[in-house]
Amino acid sequence: MGLDERHYNINTLNKLFAIVTLVLLSAIGLLFLNDYARSWKDYQSNFQDLEIENTRVKYDGEINQLNADPQYQQLQNDLKAAKDVNEQACSEQNLKQAQATEKDLTTRSEIKKQQYRVIKAQFDAAKFHYEEVVAHHDGDVNVAKIRYQSLEQKTKQLNQSIEQLSAKLDSNNKIFIECEKSVKEIERQERTLAQKANILSRKLKKIDPNEMTLINRIANIVRNLPIIDLANPTYKIRQIVLKDVREDNNFLSLPTVDRCTTCHLGIDNPDYKDAPQPLRTHPNLELFAAKDSAHSIEEFGCTVCHNGRGRGTDFTSAAHTPSSDEQAKDWKEKYGWQEMHHWDKPMFPKQYVEAGCFKCHSGQTTIKGAEKLNLGLNLIERAGCYACHNIDKYKDWPKPGPSLQHIAAKTTKEWVLRWLADPKSFRHATWMPSYFDQSNTNDPESKIRSQHEIRAIVEYLFTQSENYKLNELPHRGDAQKGEELVAAVGCFGCHVKQEGLSKSVRDRNRLKQEQGPNLIGFGNKTSPQWIYDWLKDPQRYHPQTRMPNLRLSDQEAADIAAYLSKSKNDVFNEKPIPQVNDEVLTTIVFDFLKKSFSQDQAKAKATEMSRQEKLTFAGKKLIARYGCFSCHDIKGFDGYKPIGTDLTEEGSKTVDKFDFGFVKIDHSKQAWIYQKIENPRIFDTDKIKDADEKLMMPNYNFSAQEAQAITTAILSFVKDNPGKIKPRTAENLTIEKGQQIVRQFNCQGCHIIEDEGGVITDSVNDWLVTYQGKTKTEALAMVKTFSPPKLMGIGKKVQTQWLFDFLHQPQTVRPWLSVRMPTYDFNAAHLNILLKYFNALDKEEFPFTEHVDTSLTPDELISAEKMFSKDYFDCTKCHVVGEQLPAGSQETWAPNLGLAGKRLKPEWVNTWLRNPSAVDATTKMPTFFDPQNFEESGPPDILNGDENEQIRVLRNFIMSLSTVTDPPQSKQQPVKQTMTPTEQSE
Amino acid sequence: MDQFKHLINILARPYIMFPAMIAAFFFVFPPTEGLMKINRRLGLYKLWTNKGGVAIFSFMIASFAFGLTDENFRLIVTKPDNVPIVGLIFLVVFFLWLAMKQGWDNDARQAKGLKPNEAEDAKENILVWPDLVYIELIALVIVSALLIFWAVSLHAPLEQPANPTVSPNPSKAPWYFLGLQEMLVYFDPWIAGVLFPTVIMLGFMAIPFIDNNRKGLGYYTFNERKMAISIFLFLWLILWIFLIVTGTFLRGPNWNFFGPFEYWDIHKLEALTNINLSEMIYMIFLQKQMPSNILLREIWGILLVVGYFTLTPLILAKTLFKDIFKSLGPLRYSVFIILLLLATSLPIKMFLRWIFNIKYIIAIPEFFLNI
Repeated sequence: MGLDERHYNINTLNKLFAIVTLVLLSAIGLLFLNDYARSWKDYQSNFQDLEIENTRVKYDGEINQLNADPQYQQLQNDLKAAKDVNEQACSEQNLKQAQATEKDLTTRSEIKKQQYRVIKAQFDAAKFHYEEVVAHHDGDVNVAKIRYQSLEQKTKQLNQSIEQLSAKLDSNNKIFIECEKSVKEIERQERTLAQKANILSRKLKKIDPNEMTLINRIANIVRNLPIIDLANPTYKIRQIVLKDVREDNNFLSLPTVDRCTTCHLGIDNPDYKDAPQPLRTHPNLELFAAKDSAHSIEEFGCTVCHNGRGRGTDFTSAAHTPSSDEQAKDWKEKYGWQEMHHWDKPMFPKQYVEAGCFKCHSGQTTIKGAEKLNLGLNLIERAGCYACHNIDKYKDWPKPGPSLQHIAAKTTKEWVLRWLADPKSFRHATWMPSYFDQSNTNDPESKIRSQHEIRAIVEYLFTQSENYKLNELPHRGDAQKGEELVAAVGCFGCHVKQEGLSKSVRDRNRLKQEQGPNLIGFGNKTSPQWIYDWLKDPQRYHPQTRMPNLRLSDQEAADIAAYLSKSKNDVFNEKPIPQVNDEVLTTIVFDFLKKSFSQDQAKAKATEMSRQEKLTFAGKKLIARYGCFSCHDIKGFDGYKPIGTDLTEEGSKTVDKFDFGFVKIDHSKQAWIYQKIENPRIFDTDKIKDADEKLMMPNYNFSAQEAQAITTAILSFVKDNPGKIKPRTAENLTIEKGQQIVRQFNCQGCHIIEDEGGVITDSVNDWLVTYQGKTKTEALAMVKTFSPPKLMGIGKKVQTQWLFDFLHQPQTVRPWLSVRMPTYDFNAAHLNILLKYFNALDKEEFPFTEHVDTSLTPDELISAEKMFSKDYFDCTKCHVVGEQLPAGSQETWAPNLGLAGKRLKPEWVNTWLRNPSAVDATTKMPTFFDPQNFEESGPPDILNGDENEQIRVLRNFIMSLSTVTDPPQSKQQPVKQTMTPTEQSE
Repeated sequence: MDQFKHLINILARPYIMFPAMIAAFFFVFPPTEGLMKINRRLGLYKLWTNKGGVAIFSFMIASFAFGLTDENFRLIVTKPDNVPIVGLIFLVVFFLWLAMKQGWDNDARQAKGLKPNEAEDAKENILVWPDLVYIELIALVIVSALLIFWAVSLHAPLEQPANPTVSPNPSKAPWYFLGLQEMLVYFDPWIAGVLFPTVIMLGFMAIPFIDNNRKGLGYYTFNERKMAISIFLFLWLILWIFLIVTGTFLRGPNWNFFGPFEYWDIHKLEALTNINLSEMIYMIFLQKQMPSNILLREIWGILLVVGYFTLTPLILAKTLFKDIFKSLGPLRYSVFIILLLLATSLPIKMFLRWIFNIKYIIAIPEFFLNI
């Protein structure tokens, strides 16, 4: 068949075929190239260069150090000398001869061994044959026996000659060992000295192409070639598989797999602090990533805390989230970054990274190291977000606002009207948020409506207010004395009194000071009589209040009342109060009525009502709508549910569940929450809504930092259970509960507990300067003495029963203090938790500890009194004992030893006497027994100079002070254990 | 520019675009002589020449190029899931053009008394090997290369792990079922999801029995089979391809319609209060209470539907389909006309929905019978 019969030209087809196969080949080439070229390989290659450089620098440093080390130099010299000596001793001729002999002997020995193996096999066979013949009688026993014996003989002979040859060889080889002996020893020493350098050099040989053998270098290239790299390449994906941290994929849960370390290669290695990203070291190795840190990378991976897509191995698919628009732009340019819409848990941007801590640390009150999250949580606690928004963590927390059930006894309608309209104009940083005149209610119509709403709320509040009889002021108060008292007794542990705006940022310590309201403006708000009544017994007015009773005398309370009512805000007080317009009021009432009635019925009902009825009706509805009852006790709202969204799992909501309205912000959870906190009404922008449909979350005027901190906290409220929670042991639970009470009652306002708190110190300092006439430097030096005690190690220190009694009714341990431990209205549950908490912190047994015998023999008593006396330790120089005060100035005074027997744990006193600064590094207590030279430190003439005995006896004496004897000076008189509260303040 | 885009968005609204397309369709693919004359007068047949092809593709490419300058359009069209549908648009148009061009060429030849182009080919023998198999092999290599390039350049569009409590918005069927999903908007599920697919299958089986026109065998022609071709193309282009394209590019969140340059706002609200025919008759026209008797209530719809399937065939047999009726005979005509009426019921229902907000013509939810 000729070409012309064909429909197509075969040559053209051949050409076409050639071209398309080439195209296919290039497509396949592209396929492999595309699969092979991964961005992480570049990072790994960069990291390898960095690693080589790093190792080289280290190696060079190590070598330099070695060369500079005289010991090493000495060794080098010794080695050289030893080698020289060897060369002389073991002359070449001798060695050669020995080597020849060795060769000869070895050959002979090998031949013999070969013979032996053959003969031995024959011998074994002959032995078996002989045994068989004897047993079965089926052959000639004698023949078998002779053969057996002759072979046995031969075996023995051969064995013997092998042994002889071996002995000869040993004696011949001695010369080699002798010759090298000294050199080998020196070489061993050298190796130990240069161990680090050797390790580094071995590593270099492994990774540095310049140090590798040619074969290894080629092998390294080959194993990274496409396709071949499936076996064991040097560039490979690294992953951490966490079996106990499960990823919830809806239909099944899988172990978490984090491949982040494929690119973040230096994350747990401190050598890469300055390396470029992604190779850089984790910024906080002490806490994270490093092997010995609390969250090692092998155990925790990365995405447990950071979120993101752990399986992703390129920049976009790992779901990185930029922290700002600039960074987003930068990333787009550098890495071609895009937002990964299809991942529900994108990485936290840098500023919200602490949101990852809470899912495991949700039980703790303070999460050490997560300052922003802590601030966010504390702000939520202080602002009382949990009152309207259910948050499981704060389920049992008290209402954040004061009770309004007796409001008529406290203030006037006019004041409340002005206050509700704009609380910040009365107290600049009040925690009462602003409900009215917000971005969705600041048009003229809404403003008028708001005025009427306020009027209605106030009217309802005063209608529901129950009668409350204030106690009469017994004396005229002295404002000046009051001012001093406020500074002295410790009001500033929980309150500030600040007229102007605070310039400093509100941090966690400041929040402790703002536990209670800023003490300004009382002159407008309430009467001196109310303040007096309140101070005398806060729980009477508001049973749930966290304000403690400071056991003020009548005069003191009157003085403080006089002082506080001096503070007035005239600008606030002169704000006009708008008139009531019945038409507007009717509209408000009608809007509520029409929800349960038809329009006509509603209209009829609204017109029927009197103005007062309208006001109270609308007032109650508005209180329910705005949720006032969530924070304040108001009559008529029992059983009402919180009005806000449940925030317990807010951080797990996907972004499509948030309504961004028409606000043009980044469509991310964090952006929405931040925006909401900064301006709660913003998502109403450009929306058409009826007055009763509008957003109503009030505005706290949080600063940007505060809003960011709260956002961090809310993002952290997730439903994930990563399986890494602190074990739920009874001890840990107790500590968590205790921390909650400490936080609720603001114990850290005055005391340092768990290394935190004691914010009252600054005001004590001011008090020392202002009222005690100290200079600033003096005050600074003695402020610790005049501040409330640090409560560290309290479980080890004090007896549980005493602490229980003390919390009920504080007694004076430190009579020189002007700040008072107030009486809290703790219930039994609170007390038990607190006691358990302090003991659990110190890992003490609870409630009973070991019984310690503190009795003294008469001889011991004498020794103890001696040590106690002026001649030896002179304890009473500083310590108060019963009623007897020390002679020195107050700043050197120390706690009442008369209470020791009931108050302190004997074991603790022992430890304390032995070395006080080991218990409390900042103590003023002198160290009588030198820990460095303990055996020699005690007085040699007492109890035969046995220090352990001295401590025991002195301890027993101190423990007996309150019950058995008086201080040595005034024997036989019982020590008065406590002082009454009124005596205390003197 | 924005106004122009806005105009296109408005034109893309289904109640404008769909009628416009149907109207244009019968001029471009005239089923009858009368329409054919108009087609010739307007010179629409010129589309099926090389120049026409260049014009069609230039227009399409220019439209896409223009569209790609718009962010919203770009976002939808370049989504890896949607790229095949863009390819589909071009491919369908290309093969349509190719077939029509060959058909019109042959028609022109026949008008001059020549035999069709394919007659020339028929004289030639083509060898299976190498001619057929070789080009098949080449085609296979080309397609393989193409698929590899495609797979490398556009990655598989993976989403987050499936979550039974979260349905994606919009929830879209696979592209080849988008036509069915679109039907679900207008018909009760059992009609759109069960009856229509079955009828489509049966219809395919019936084609060889219904189509007794022996012309056009083995060669392309339009003129000799214009009725058959335009009916088929109407079903294929308008009721299938167009619905797929619409479902892919113009149906957004909540299955709302969006113009090609419109942002897919998840909060977009459309007023869609649909009413049944019976409600329309009794409550709007007659201002009366709905009768409690089901039959009485739905009698109008029932009459309408029965009339549609009984009177229309009779009328058409006397008028438009006189010739067809003659050539098919009553039985085959009945099958043909029922299939055709079922098919045309879709655009009819669509119009009723868009213009009168009609939900069901017969609505008997008591017996799950909604038409």
